[in-house]
Amino acid sequence: MYVSYRWLGRHIDLEGISPEQLCEDLTLSTAEVEGIEKFAPHLSAVRVGKVETRVPHPDADKLSVCTVDIGEEESLNIVCGAPNVDAGQKVAVATVGTVLPGDFKIKKSKIRGVESRGMICSVRELELGEDHDGIWVLPEEAEIGQPVADAVGLNDWVIEIDNKSLTHRPDLWGHRGIAAEIAAIYSRPLKPLSFDWPEWGDGAPYPIRIETPACSRYIGLQIDGAKATESPDWLKGLLLAVGQRSIDCLVDLSNFVMLDLGQPNHTFDRHALDSDGIAIRMAREGEQMTTLDGEERDLQPSDLLICSGDRPVALAGIMGGEGSKVGDTTDALLLEIATFAPAVVRRTSSRLGLRTDASARFEKSLDPTLPQRAGAHFARLLRELQPDVRFPAPPTDVGEWTDPAHTLTLRPEQVRRELGKAIPDEEITSILKRLGFGVEKSEAGYAVAVPSSRSTKDVHLDRDLVEEVGRIYRYGNIEEKFMRADITPPPKDPRRHLVRALQDRLAGAGRFHETLSYSFVHDALLEKLGMLDLPHVRIVNPVAHGEERIRRSVAPSLLAGLETNRRLLDDVRLFEVGKGYLPDPEDPNREPQELHLAGLVWASAPAGAGARFDAHAFNRLQGVVTDLLDHLEAAETHWRPAPAPPLWAHPAKALEAVCTESGDVLAVVAELDPGLHAGLGLSGEQASEVAVAEVSIDALLKAPQRGSRYKTLARYPGIKLDVAIALPETTAAAEVHSAIKKAGKGSVADAELFDLYRGDSVGAGRKSLAYHVTLQSEKKTLTEKDEQKFLKRFEALVGELGGELRNG
Amino acid sequence: MSDPESGDAGNDSSAPTLAEAEAKILACESSEALKEVEREYVGKQGVVARLLASIPDAPPEERPEVGKQANILKKGVQQAIQARQQGLADARVATEREGQGFDPSLPPPRPQRGSLHPLTQVTRELEDLFQSMGYRILDGPEIETDYYNFEALNIPADHPARDSHDTFFCEGDGHLVLRTHTSPVQIRALENLEPPLRVVIPGKVFRHESTDASHDHTFHQMEGLVVDRDISVAHLIGAMKTLLRGIFDRDLEVRLRPGYFPFVEPGFELDARCPFCEEGCRVCKRTRWIELLPCGLVHPNVLRAGGVDPEEWGAFAFGLGLSRLVMLRHAIDDVRHLLGGDIRFLEQF
Ligand SMILES: [Zn+2]
Repeated sequence: MYVSYRWLGRHIDLEGISPEQLCEDLTLSTAEVEGIEKFAPHLSAVRVGKVETRVPHPDADKLSVCTVDIGEEESLNIVCGAPNVDAGQKVAVATVGTVLPGDFKIKKSKIRGVESRGMICSVRELELGEDHDGIWVLPEEAEIGQPVADAVGLNDWVIEIDNKSLTHRPDLWGHRGIAAEIAAIYSRPLKPLSFDWPEWGDGAPYPIRIETPACSRYIGLQIDGAKATESPDWLKGLLLAVGQRSIDCLVDLSNFVMLDLGQPNHTFDRHALDSDGIAIRMAREGEQMTTLDGEERDLQPSDLLICSGDRPVALAGIMGGEGSKVGDTTDALLLEIATFAPAVVRRTSSRLGLRTDASARFEKSLDPTLPQRAGAHFARLLRELQPDVRFPAPPTDVGEWTDPAHTLTLRPEQVRRELGKAIPDEEITSILKRLGFGVEKSEAGYAVAVPSSRSTKDVHLDRDLVEEVGRIYRYGNIEEKFMRADITPPPKDPRRHLVRALQDRLAGAGRFHETLSYSFVHDALLEKLGMLDLPHVRIVNPVAHGEERIRRSVAPSLLAGLETNRRLLDDVRLFEVGKGYLPDPEDPNREPQELHLAGLVWASAPAGAGARFDAHAFNRLQGVVTDLLDHLEAAETHWRPAPAPPLWAHPAKALEAVCTESGDVLAVVAELDPGLHAGLGLSGEQASEVAVAEVSIDALLKAPQRGSRYKTLARYPGIKLDVAIALPETTAAAEVHSAIKKAGKGSVADAELFDLYRGDSVGAGRKSLAYHVTLQSEKKTLTEKDEQKFLKRFEALVGELGGELRNG
Repeated sequence: MSDPESGDAGNDSSAPTLAEAEAKILACESSEALKEVEREYVGKQGVVARLLASIPDAPPEERPEVGKQANILKKGVQQAIQARQQGLADARVATEREGQGFDPSLPPPRPQRGSLHPLTQVTRELEDLFQSMGYRILDGPEIETDYYNFEALNIPADHPARDSHDTFFCEGDGHLVLRTHTSPVQIRALENLEPPLRVVIPGKVFRHESTDASHDHTFHQMEGLVVDRDISVAHLIGAMKTLLRGIFDRDLEVRLRPGYFPFVEPGFELDARCPFCEEGCRVCKRTRWIELLPCGLVHPNVLRAGGVDPEEWGAFAFGLGLSRLVMLRHAIDDVRHLLGGDIRFLEQF
């Protein structure tokens, strides 16, 4: 909200309080000031001049040549194109060197042979209005040579207050409310303002019917003889300062009263209303109306309407209807000042996306006693501006409302305890009185009378009074204290412990970079991954079309940015710890199932032909996950083909790690389906091997843990030997591995596959596997004889697998 | 050099001498050459072996002398070879010590490394700080119910404060939302734990905002809640100063000013003196204050919603923008980098 410093001066004496000081104090005691700016700073550079002479330009019909006195020794010669310029006028002169809005710098020039040393400005050139038909003629009393800002009273500062910090303060949505805060902060009185109705005639009160509790009070005042004339400069100036362009006197006054007291109001042309008066009712299903902005609105029964007869003429508290616009010629008006239910106004304005100055105020819960004061304020100001207006009848004031003013019990002890500061009673009561609360000693402490302006929303509990005292006393005057309490270590948190260990292992030994992603997954990506048809939690108001879905797992997020990263790096290793959500299949309103996951992706340039058999992204990622599970102390796990691989996975190359003891599936590792590479930008230059893994943190937390694995160190040296075998392609390496174990009869300490070879020397449909084997006994030093026995048994077992030992 | 093969013609004229062998050994410049000499003298068919083989042919009275000479020769040669080997090794070490060809400016190869996300790093640091002060760390769902996200936090339906929350709504009857703050976990904590309690809740939150370099629709927060008897604003100030000291490693001047959040009463914004400037800078928008911590005494309605009697217990709560803190700490120019997944960003931390 914009607040004018000069406007505040109408309500309180600001002598000795600079705009900057004021802002600082408002910030510390009331609400956040977001900024302060000098209003129209160029008006301080433009000066008042008096046109001494005006003669037609010798060479141009529409131009005149003027001499203008700006209070300096020599008058200025200025060529002017405005038709209304004339000798004797006081005008706004921008001299050579002055910069006007739009970075327009005034230069000395020759216009058709006549020298011109400045410019006589129009209202539009000074950004004070739209009028550019002629120059701005200043009032006669303007002093020659004075800055225009001072001469016309536009020397002002505009203070911007954060609306959010006023959410709970309907009383601060007008200048008088802010002034009341200043009064409390500086202990100064508010200037008096009369809220008495001007006298009225004895005509019939205007008929007004309220048919719904959504309107608790409605005042209608008939006004005759008002003219939509131009507003006086003081009014235009104040409105301009807070960003409102002047329209005409009646519209301006309506805005002024709202911005002065915080009470929105509306004027209707009585000629445009039906003779049976105003009715306030809820809209009917299927009803429509066109608002002032020309939009046709579909109404709902939750919308509150002001109707003439049965015809809607305003969307209550939000915007008038098109037909009710007050024209230039109207002389019979009806002024509406009402109180509408905040939730009703808010619901309609949110639904229609129609936020107005009025709706912003109504939704904050306005004081129902305010309409009378606002109505009187409007009527008095109008009469000042147009002494001929008449109020033919007493105002109609209908509705069921009660004054919300109430009394709270204040225990000064509570204030001291909750603020943590020994503030004496006198200071507490003085602050509350300055804020407009009534304070009287009572048995329990003090009876505090809360004024109606603070009663609708803000001050309801003793705690609310604590805040009132604290903020005016200033929180900065409260010294810090430290809590005294028994500190016991918080209970162990297995999930956090596990996640940290996982992150550290992957970022450390795994050399993965940790990333964090948005929870939204793009439809286009899901479609590519074939996951679009899976049930997802969906957002109804996404940031962009196609970003409605919340991810079910982390893998899609990791695949999304792969192309960009692969463009930069040959080897991309990323992981993310995050959540996935599965909607309840029965009821979308039930809370979705939450999954705690870690996703990993390894994408690299394709391994060359000479690469080791296990130097591929898939093997390496499987290795990382195996190491990770081991590091996280999961009980023994084994890998098996995933019975239902994720949709992005290669249908054959997908494995899951299963806890051997419990059968829990802890992780899945798979190659990315080769059919997806092109769509994900991983072909051509970016052709990649891509492996993806997902680790279930939930499953890991439930699965059994292994104990310590320490084994005493071997006492006898072992024998190391290499064996190579050729066997049919279809035989799994695991079978060879078991054969080695079996052949060793308990003496195989280690068997590591180090080569996998296919080629002419082993023949078509066959492969060769080579192992480093360590034989070791806990009872004796093994000899060459033991090695021979092992080889003999192994050869036999390999034979059973259809293979043979190769002598290397 | 004498040819041992031709030396057996007469045993008086050309008997191999130790002196000769030693000279040969001394002339060797490599261990290969030494091996050669070793083979020549003490190898299977070497001089010594042939000498010993010639014993049966010698007159019986000379045989012991021939044997003795052979042994002297063998020992002498072996000793000389060993000495020469040591000499060569010493010379090699001496040469290496000269360090020829060493370029001290050669760039070292760096090991490949991984990295933890800067948000993880800051979150951990704060978790550790809070744990050291007896706080428990809690987690909560990112998809929340209207009740926990708003209603129980004293933000009923149609409350205008809902505007500033720019909420993402889930499909359905509208009661599921992406949580707009970590505050709902306050209620869950009050429901599930017995006071007194101290908890912090780090997590991801969502606001339907248009994004730019300083705004994103998804960001990270850390919420704190302390419930105890006799909690005052003075305690809150003390706790916040301790927290800031933990974050910035020094005492920063702070100021507490009114701030409106429906779930606290009174509510504050805590500003700290800009740690980056003396005169005003871009970070503090030239005000010399940075808005860091919204906080306040927990509203009695919120305690009640969590099943805690506000007559018996007091509480304060605070919120910390983790994303903002990361940006401040590393002077990151665009908040969207945080969740952008670009390795060029991630690998810097
Ligand atoms: Zn700064």
